[in-house]
Amino acid sequence: MLSVKGLRAKVGEKEILKGLDLEVGRGEVHAIMGPNGSGKSTFAHVLSGREGYTVTGGSVTFEGRDLLALTPEERAHLGLFLAFQYPVELPGVNNTYFLKAALNAIRSARGQPELDAVAFLRLMKERLKVLHLDDSLLKRPVNFGFSGGEKKRNEIFQMALLEPKLAILDETDSGLDIDALRIVADGVNALRSPERSVILVTHYQRLLDYIEPDFVHVLAHGRIIRSGGKELALELEEKGYGWLGEEAA
Amino acid sequence: MTAALDKGLLPWLAAAPTADTVPSGWLEAQRAQARARVETQGIPGNKAENWRYTSLTRLLAQGFVPTAESLTAVQREDLEDLLIPGLESYRVLMVNGRFMPGLSDLHDLPVGVRIAGLAALLKSDPDALQGRLNGVVGDAQPLFAALNTAGLDDGLVVLLERGARLERPIELIHLSVGMDEPRVAQPRHLIALGDGAQANLIERYLSLGDSLYCTNAVVEITLGRDALLTHQRIQAESARAFHLSGLYLRLGTASRYQGLNVGLGASWARTDLCVRFAGEHAECDLQGLYLAGDGQLMDFHLDVEHQLPQCTSRENFKGILYGKGRAVFDGLVRVVRDAQKTDAAMTNRNLLLCEGAEVDTKPQLQINADDVKCSHGTTVGQIDPEQLFYLRSRGISAARARRLLCLGFAGEILDALVPEALREQVTEQVGRLLEQAPLD
Ligand SMILES: Nc1ncnc2c1ncn2[C@@H]1O[C@H](COP(=O)(O)OP(=O)(O)OP(=O)(O)O)[C@@H](O)[C@H]1O
Ligand SMILES: [Mg+2]
Repeated sequence: MLSVKGLRAKVGEKEILKGLDLEVGRGEVHAIMGPNGSGKSTFAHVLSGREGYTVTGGSVTFEGRDLLALTPEERAHLGLFLAFQYPVELPGVNNTYFLKAALNAIRSARGQPELDAVAFLRLMKERLKVLHLDDSLLKRPVNFGFSGGEKKRNEIFQMALLEPKLAILDETDSGLDIDALRIVADGVNALRSPERSVILVTHYQRLLDYIEPDFVHVLAHGRIIRSGGKELALELEEKGYGWLGEEAA
Repeated sequence: MTAALDKGLLPWLAAAPTADTVPSGWLEAQRAQARARVETQGIPGNKAENWRYTSLTRLLAQGFVPTAESLTAVQREDLEDLLIPGLESYRVLMVNGRFMPGLSDLHDLPVGVRIAGLAALLKSDPDALQGRLNGVVGDAQPLFAALNTAGLDDGLVVLLERGARLERPIELIHLSVGMDEPRVAQPRHLIALGDGAQANLIERYLSLGDSLYCTNAVVEITLGRDALLTHQRIQAESARAFHLSGLYLRLGTASRYQGLNVGLGASWARTDLCVRFAGEHAECDLQGLYLAGDGQLMDFHLDVEHQLPQCTSRENFKGILYGKGRAVFDGLVRVVRDAQKTDAAMTNRNLLLCEGAEVDTKPQLQINADDVKCSHGTTVGQIDPEQLFYLRSRGISAARARRLLCLGFAGEILDALVPEALREQVTEQVGRLLEQAPLD
């Protein structure tokens, strides 16, 4: 589904991704861990097509397409979704209106009929329940004045509505209380299927108790320096990154 | 400059006052005085403080002449597209500056409310408006107010007696229809709310067809003690039109004025909002939204004088500029020496979507009292790339995302429109303009 080979990317003159390799198969859950500033968010942004990064080498193939040649919206149409580490506030843009515009843009790009207001509301209600999200948030501007936890849950709610093929969750667990963490995990688990894949960027083992990963990777200095099963996360929790040697520090 | 006056503006006064109005002494005196003022003032050059950013050259070159004949060709069917679905109002229709009783709908007005055409009223009761007409504008009339007085012809008169309330809004549709020659209409509207009276007045400036004409409207408003006026003005003139409007407002003790100006149409538009307080504890809220694209100029001038203590004013204007659109925001709030406890806040925020778009913004406070709360702020910015990326990452196209963000920016003002039918219609119209606009 996703194949990243030797990816290199710069911000300005600074190289941040330095030859990153990652293969994500259909239905798999991958966790990416790594020290602060190692390039995890940069990787997520480059995948979703944010401006300001220059790709200087390597390739990314998603669903058989050259991902890096596509606009951000085309990537979303193909089924890529990024839950932001810092969700953006959109004052004046109504959350429900935004969600409907997003869903229908994706549906029509895929040749599916757009949902009318009634069908959309029904779908929204159904997905809301799973995330225990207060529906007053839907009447407000997108993320505007939301608490940190509400913003994160709103990201997962969007994911539940848009049903991506590959969801990248960038530290969605940071700043969540224990109940919210479980709710978010339930939302992700509800989406899991043999068709869908997830990349979880996280600093904490706790999330992985709720969403069991198939693979755990350590990203340091712009490269994946170690990969393993879920036991690798436990080891990291216990020992930190130091034992992985020079490369990780 | 004299030649420009002779050729450009004095022809606006060419037509005699409507033949069937009975000339009253006081009215003729006001007209003559205003004409003399036009002649002595002459045309303000680009050094004149009020016209520093806006040139009159294009306006003067058009050779506008007054609308002499009454246009009766407009039929009810022509209006259907102009009406706002679901808006129940007392409707006053004016065509090229003339009140059209046959096309207006003023049934079931409650007692204590009088709505009439200005010309008709001057004819039936010549002295009824003595003291009211130019009562707020005063003697020191700015050029275009003086022209309006000198060429005075018709308009709308709304008088609410003490305590009178209107459940439905009053909707003034000012419709312009193109003629062979470019015409100027100079309506004068007089609005007076007695103590405790309440109303919602909607002014809509519209056109049939894409014609060239000029509107030079003057609105005078007085609010009695505790009166409340919601006043929403939608300028959606034709793309070739010239639009001038001067609002002169006097607020009585503890009265409230909620004004909202939306500027969408016209090729050249200038709006002057002039506010004076006649009693303490009054509140004046001025909001505005303007859009300007290729070949358009939107100019808003605010002159709010706190000459009494304990009054509040809010000035909040937002602009969206694209193509080669231009806007001017020149806002002045003055607080005189003894106007203690004045509370005033003025903001002007602009979104510039294209390289060629431009705005001159100059919010000013002149404060001569020491115990006041006053602030002002201005921003000129572009669409936030982070916000744009967020929307695009959800599958929304770049063009659509820009439009959504613009509508979000405008939403703060649009959301204040009442009732809902008006809000929906204007929001839709703004959406349509943004749809056609080049947004990067
Ligand atoms: N726009 C930018 N300009 C300059 N440096 C940047 C920019 N964006 C990221 N960087 C730098 O790139 C490096 C990687 O940042 P990134 O946000 O990808 O780290 P991260 O692994 O997500 O860290 P964290 O765990 O703290 O979220 C950091 O050193 C950061 O300062
Ligand atoms: Mg990060």
